[in-house]
Amino acid sequence: MAHATTVQIREEKFIFSDKAKRLAFILMGAGLLLALIGYFTYHPQVEGFTDEQNHHLPIKRLLASILFNGYFFFIIATCAAVFLAISQVANAGWYVAIRRIPEAMSSFMPIGAIVVFGVVFLSLVVFHGGIYHWGHDGVMEADPLLAKKTWYLNKPFFLIRLAVFTAFWTWCATMIRKYSQNEDQIGGLTNFDKTFKLSAAFLVVFGFTFSMFAWDITMSVDAHWYSTIFTIYNFATGWVSALTVIYLITWYLRSNGYLDGIASDEHMHDLGKFMFAFSVFWTYMWTAQFLLIWYANIPEEVAYYKPRMFGSYKFFFYINIVLNFVVPFFIFMRRGAKRSRQVGVFVGTCILIGHWNDVFLMVMPGAMNLAAAVTGDNPTGIIETPSQGIGLMEIGFLGVFAGLFLYITLNALSKANLYPTKHPFLKESILHDTGV
Amino acid sequence: MMLGVYDNPDTVFSVTENLVKAGYDVHDVYTPFAVHNLDKVIGVKRTRLSIAAFCFAMTGLVSAIALQTYASYFDWQMNIGGKPSLHIPTYIPITFELSILFTAFGMVGCFFIVNRMFWGRNTDIIDLRVTDDRFVIAVNIHSKTDVKALEQTFVSGGAIEVRERAKDL
Repeated sequence: MAHATTVQIREEKFIFSDKAKRLAFILMGAGLLLALIGYFTYHPQVEGFTDEQNHHLPIKRLLASILFNGYFFFIIATCAAVFLAISQVANAGWYVAIRRIPEAMSSFMPIGAIVVFGVVFLSLVVFHGGIYHWGHDGVMEADPLLAKKTWYLNKPFFLIRLAVFTAFWTWCATMIRKYSQNEDQIGGLTNFDKTFKLSAAFLVVFGFTFSMFAWDITMSVDAHWYSTIFTIYNFATGWVSALTVIYLITWYLRSNGYLDGIASDEHMHDLGKFMFAFSVFWTYMWTAQFLLIWYANIPEEVAYYKPRMFGSYKFFFYINIVLNFVVPFFIFMRRGAKRSRQVGVFVGTCILIGHWNDVFLMVMPGAMNLAAAVTGDNPTGIIETPSQGIGLMEIGFLGVFAGLFLYITLNALSKANLYPTKHPFLKESILHDTGV
Repeated sequence: MMLGVYDNPDTVFSVTENLVKAGYDVHDVYTPFAVHNLDKVIGVKRTRLSIAAFCFAMTGLVSAIALQTYASYFDWQMNIGGKPSLHIPTYIPITFELSILFTAFGMVGCFFIVNRMFWGRNTDIIDLRVTDDRFVIAVNIHSKTDVKALEQTFVSGGAIEVRERAKDL
């Protein structure tokens, strides 16, 4: 191999082919169709439920399906922006060749934010509760445990902070993208320095606000329950999924002849290392949350794991660990695996399905429960609904959001150069080498 | 062993390339910092450190499980919060930590052994200046090696010094 001191930097554009466009639209259309069929054919007959109770389930399941799918893709897009910010603040050079991919992914953020806000708004305001137990009328006052949380868990404050946080993150991601595209025009270091400052501010704010965001959207579904490690566990989910999506899109581009001589197996190797490492990180967080609750054995906390581990969600609970830890850990450990497209795509798909299942498991059990009066026999005021499984609605909305995400990402990718041609670290990135 | 001392990473790279092409037995190239792709030119083999690391991790894993099963199940069972004495979740943290500890210590030990660093022994550095700002190409000399031509290649490549080193590393 020659000592490549000269690199060919040319302007390269991604062409969003009709085939890819069609695929994205088919995913969206078929997904929506499946979801509608799922909704209208879903007539639950849960044992021991009255007709009125059964009647509540379809709308809950519909809202929960939209919420957890929207949340999943929103945190992927957000974590793509965080990836840019972290790499920028760390003065990383290796990632520049693939920088436009997370940039394009982060352009899904506005839509994701609107979807999440919309579902939450529908749940809390239109349906007076919907998937949020604490949002039902009178629940907060009647339940002594929840009454203490009223200062934080109330509808106006909840909606305002959700809007403010997501708007701020979206603004940061948009500005980071804009600076990067300005750089392509004028070069120099002005935009680089601006991105650095904005990224540092974004990361600090993100660290605090993502905590509250995760408590709000997913943890407050089980309003009695709390876990202090839940935020970092959610972040790990989004982060490893975002890295996986970057990895898969890079493979897609490279196998279609893009980024030739720019992104190499070395970049795949480093992204693969990230996927491997953060799969282990996710497992660490998951285990840490589980172990403390298992040891302490406090009723309010154990209530979260009971339906998941021993109840009707048992299958999803155990498949979670297989897909998110066992598969990446044992298959992706070897150097050759991270550099191979076949193995990489297989492991990447497993990780994405696994984390989708993980978010499903965070939201669904709590969201499907019914609210009842707080009595001596039922101090939580919750009637547990057994698992309805993964059906057409969940799969359908996965298709809708996956198609939307693909369309927006690839469309944004085709708008700018495929890599930042005037980035100060571009040459370093092209010559990136992970060693023998 | 012939040494060529250089002061520029680019010239070191091209000289090494020429030497390898001409069929000399390049022992190693010593640089104060990593010169990318130089390892590929002189054909450095894939490290076996990862295999060693895996073995150390497995040793740690097995010893952690053995220790905990012996201590908390066979030797002295204790009732802690009513949890069973022989149960996988309780073993996770210590198994995880011991695997890492064994791997870390094992790798440091490997590093010392491979580099022949022991107590009371001064390491034989090929040329003290490679720890500062000089680059050294070391070529093994065999009976058939044309020393004159080798010297010529070194000098024409821009060596600031060429010398012979009697002792092999």
